[in-house]
Amino acid sequence: MKGFLLAAIVTLFALIGSASAAERATIVRSSGLFASPAQSAEKVMTIDRGTGLTVEDKRDAGNEPWVKVSISVPGSTQNEPAREATGWLPAQPVVGVSTQNGDQIVYGEAVDSERQAEQRGGRKGAADDAMRLYYEVGQLFPNSPLAAESLWRSADIRWQLAKSSHKPLEEQYLKEVISKFPNTKWADQAAFDLIDSQLCGDWNGLPDCPTKEAEAYERYARQHPQSPKFGEAIFDAASRLGTVADMYRMSDQKEKAAAAHNHAMTLAKEVAGNAAMGDWSYRATTLLYKLQQNIPLYGVPDEGP
Amino acid sequence: MKARKRLIAIALIGLFFSVSLRTAFAQAQVNDKQHGTVIGNAIMYVSPDLNSAKVARPSRGRDTWLMGQSNIDGKEWAHIMVTMSQNNFSAPRTVTGWTDARLVITSATPNGDQIIFGEALQAQRDADNGIKDADQEAMRLFYRVFEYFPDSPLAPESLWHAADYQWQLEKSGVFARPSAREMSPDARQEIDEETMHQVMKKFPRTKWADLAAYDLLDNKICGAWKGETKCPEKESDLYEHYAHEHPQSPKAAEALYKAAWRQAALVDMYKGKERDKGEKAKRRAMELAQEISTKYPEGDWKPRAAQLVFALQQGLDVTTESERQSGKQN
Repeated sequence: MKGFLLAAIVTLFALIGSASAAERATIVRSSGLFASPAQSAEKVMTIDRGTGLTVEDKRDAGNEPWVKVSISVPGSTQNEPAREATGWLPAQPVVGVSTQNGDQIVYGEAVDSERQAEQRGGRKGAADDAMRLYYEVGQLFPNSPLAAESLWRSADIRWQLAKSSHKPLEEQYLKEVISKFPNTKWADQAAFDLIDSQLCGDWNGLPDCPTKEAEAYERYARQHPQSPKFGEAIFDAASRLGTVADMYRMSDQKEKAAAAHNHAMTLAKEVAGNAAMGDWSYRATTLLYKLQQNIPLYGVPDEGP
Repeated sequence: MKARKRLIAIALIGLFFSVSLRTAFAQAQVNDKQHGTVIGNAIMYVSPDLNSAKVARPSRGRDTWLMGQSNIDGKEWAHIMVTMSQNNFSAPRTVTGWTDARLVITSATPNGDQIIFGEALQAQRDADNGIKDADQEAMRLFYRVFEYFPDSPLAPESLWHAADYQWQLEKSGVFARPSAREMSPDARQEIDEETMHQVMKKFPRTKWADLAAYDLLDNKICGAWKGETKCPEKESDLYEHYAHEHPQSPKAAEALYKAAWRQAALVDMYKGKERDKGEKAKRRAMELAQEISTKYPEGDWKPRAAQLVFALQQGLDVTTESERQSGKQN
């Protein structure tokens, strides 16, 4: 009985020990995941940069440090559940929560990947790498000064990738930024991205869509007056209203055209000449000039005065 | 009597010079006020009449001379002369005609500098959205701000933008040719430096001059390293020198990073060959990364330096040269 109790206590301590050894981590270079700690061992799969890992064990083998990790592998379809894979990785590219400057290292790798993605002929899959790496900064280092910006950058890359490939826009990641870091410029920018889901694909030459879009942009600006996107939102609203005015003018609805035109002018004046708005100030000045001169913003190029 | 005649003569000479100078000054002012550009889809007609023959469609930013204006049935027409080029192979030609006066912005237009600058930003966005020739329009519009509003607070930035557009357009052509895959920068055609030097001369000790100096480094870097260490060594020195010469530059941290990255690449190149040189390069890379961290703690370069240090400490490969070549980014 005593022997059994002792064995149970030893097992319990071993379990506690292994549990405390487990560390959340990610990887900053893609690497093979091996069945045992050796390059010659069977390769289970390739792990991409920014994949979330749990380090379960560490070992030196063949003068090289190795870590045993488990990862969650998403299903190949939406309905297929995620499965867990376990294997060994060379330890050098693994960054864990205990790595000194770990937040900066992962963030720096994300920036590097993002730059690669922007370059013509850059590394394939670099945008996805950046998206995952930024996300991991927020997950592994939630108290880092880089956490909020990282989560926002990750969500924004995911959003822009979905937009450019005409995939369904998933709002959950942007909403995560807003809920985790409310009243920050990152939350403001996430909210700005979300306006995309309210935009029409095609206006079909009718004023309904640009009117609705102008309302969305102006509403955003009023709700987020400190946002870095304030000037852009007001400009977007004003330029759409200028277009609406042209549409009404073309269909001979003079009163509606005048109302939209005046509203556009009021909005453009709000940003024009305001140095704090940066380049949007100058773009608003140009827009204001066009509105004042009745230069059409929509329709066939005006052939003359 | 003689004295009276002399006085009259002096008065006449004075009057002559006064009138001449005033006329000359007025002429200069008028001339100045007549120059500008068009900011929209302008169409030029033979006469101020929509039914008359079309002469040309000058694109945004074309150098425009306003020769006169006419109000016909309450609509303003501008008589303009525009310098146009049909393509890269033909000499510029001048075209005269009548167009919508609202689209012609001259140095006499209130806020003309801001209006053209704003249109240039719009053209820049159009170019980003893939609209054909919008980059050329942006370049010309920016240049017009500098040319016709030299005292505008936007003039230095505008000249820099115009110079940078010209630089990047030429660079993409130069670096696409086979000669750009040669090691020596002398093997390829030099990117024209004139406008960049103009920025540095006209607006010295500004961030625009710093940015111009940074672009000029493109003419000095190797096309391909071909596994030779002398290229990354030389380039590292170039970037480090720039960072120390222009510590206030918006590109200083990036230049230091590029210098550090090249030292890190040297560590890989010396691996298994010359251990001492490899160690020296590693130390230098670490020092440069530390300098970034200390001097430029804001922005993305400090984390990128941290990532480079981590890669060196862990013995990870830095970005390969082919990746550098594909993007010309490091």
